[in-house]
Amino acid sequence: MLVDLYSKKVFNLAYQFAGNVPEAEDLTQDIFLKLHGALPRYDFGKNFTAWFLTLAKNALIDEYRRTKWEKRQRDEFDERLHAAADESDPELELVREEARKLLWSGLDALPPDMRLAVILKEIQGKKYEEVAEVLGLPVGTVKSRINRARLQLAKILRDGPAAGVKQGGIHDPL
Amino acid sequence: MTPCDRIEEILPSFIDGDLAPAEADLVRRHLDGCPACAALAAGLADAGRAFAAFPEIEPSPALIARLRAVPRRRRFRFSLNVLLKPSLQPVFAAASVLAVAFSLYMASPDKKHIERAVARELHRGYSTFERLAAKAGALTDGLGAAADSLYASIKTLNPLGKTDKFSQ
Repeated sequence: MLVDLYSKKVFNLAYQFAGNVPEAEDLTQDIFLKLHGALPRYDFGKNFTAWFLTLAKNALIDEYRRTKWEKRQRDEFDERLHAAADESDPELELVREEARKLLWSGLDALPPDMRLAVILKEIQGKKYEEVAEVLGLPVGTVKSRINRARLQLAKILRDGPAAGVKQGGIHDPL
Repeated sequence: MTPCDRIEEILPSFIDGDLAPAEADLVRRHLDGCPACAALAAGLADAGRAFAAFPEIEPSPALIARLRAVPRRRRFRFSLNVLLKPSLQPVFAAASVLAVAFSLYMASPDKKHIERAVARELHRGYSTFERLAAKAGALTDGLGAAADSLYASIKTLNPLGKTDKFSQ
C-alpha cells in the first residue's frame, strides 16, 4: 500500500521543506492526490521512489511559487525535532542541539531548490546521484548547489543567524 | 579572489574526504593558520552531523486517514470532471429548460389548457412535417423524371451530325 510505504517519507520531506506541521500535512495530501492522478502515466521501467519523489518535489516547488510561503511560519524548534541524545557529555549535547536549532531556521535562508537538495542529501541521506535524478539535474550541478548551501549553513553556525540574511547572496532562481 | 575564497570553494570536498592528498595537505596548512576558515570547516562538519541527527517525525493518524481516503476523493473528483465536460453543456442546458417547463406545468392550476395547447402545437408540427415530406417526395419524383429525360436526350445526341459509316 502506497500510504504505508511512503507517507512517512513524504510527510518528513514536506515538513522539513515547509517547516510546519499543518502546511506539511496539506502538502502531503496534495502530493498523494497528484500521485493518484499521475499513476496511469508511470513508466514501469523507472525507479518508482525517484519518480514519486520527483512528483513530490514538483508539488513542493509549485506550491512555493504559488504562495511564496507568505502565510507560512517555520515551527519553533521543539521536542519533536530533538534527536535522541547520543552524547554522554550534556554540554556537548546542548551545543549540538543549538546547532540543529540554527540549521532548522537556517533552511529558510536557502532558495527552495537548494533547500530540497540539502534535505534530500543531508537529512534524508540520499546519494548525489539519487538527488540529481529527483531534481532532474546533472550530478555536478547538484553537488555544487549542495556545497554552496552547506557553506551558507556553516556560516550561520559560525557567525550566527544574521549570516544567513547577510549571505542572502545565494540567488533565488524562483 | 583571496586564498580564503579559494579554500572555501573546496572546503566541502575536503570535509567529505574527496580531495587528492596534495590538495588536502594544502587545505590543512591553510586551516592551521586561518581561524575563520578553520571555524567554517568546523561548521561544515557540525552541520553534517546535526543534519544526520534530525529525527524522522511520525505522521499523525488523522493524516494517514486523509491519505487513505485520497483514492476515493480522486474518483469523486473524476466523476465531477466528467460532468463538467464542455461537450455535455448543451445537454444540461436542454435538461434545465425541460425541467423549468415541467415545473411550470406542474405548478399551473389549468393543466388541461396547457395539455390542449401542447397537443395543438404537436399536431401542427406533425402536419408541417407531413407537408414537407410530401413536397420532398414530389421534388424527388420531378428530379427522377428530369434525369430520365436527360438520359434519353444524351442517348439520341449526335454532336457532329455524321452517320456512322461502319453501320452502313
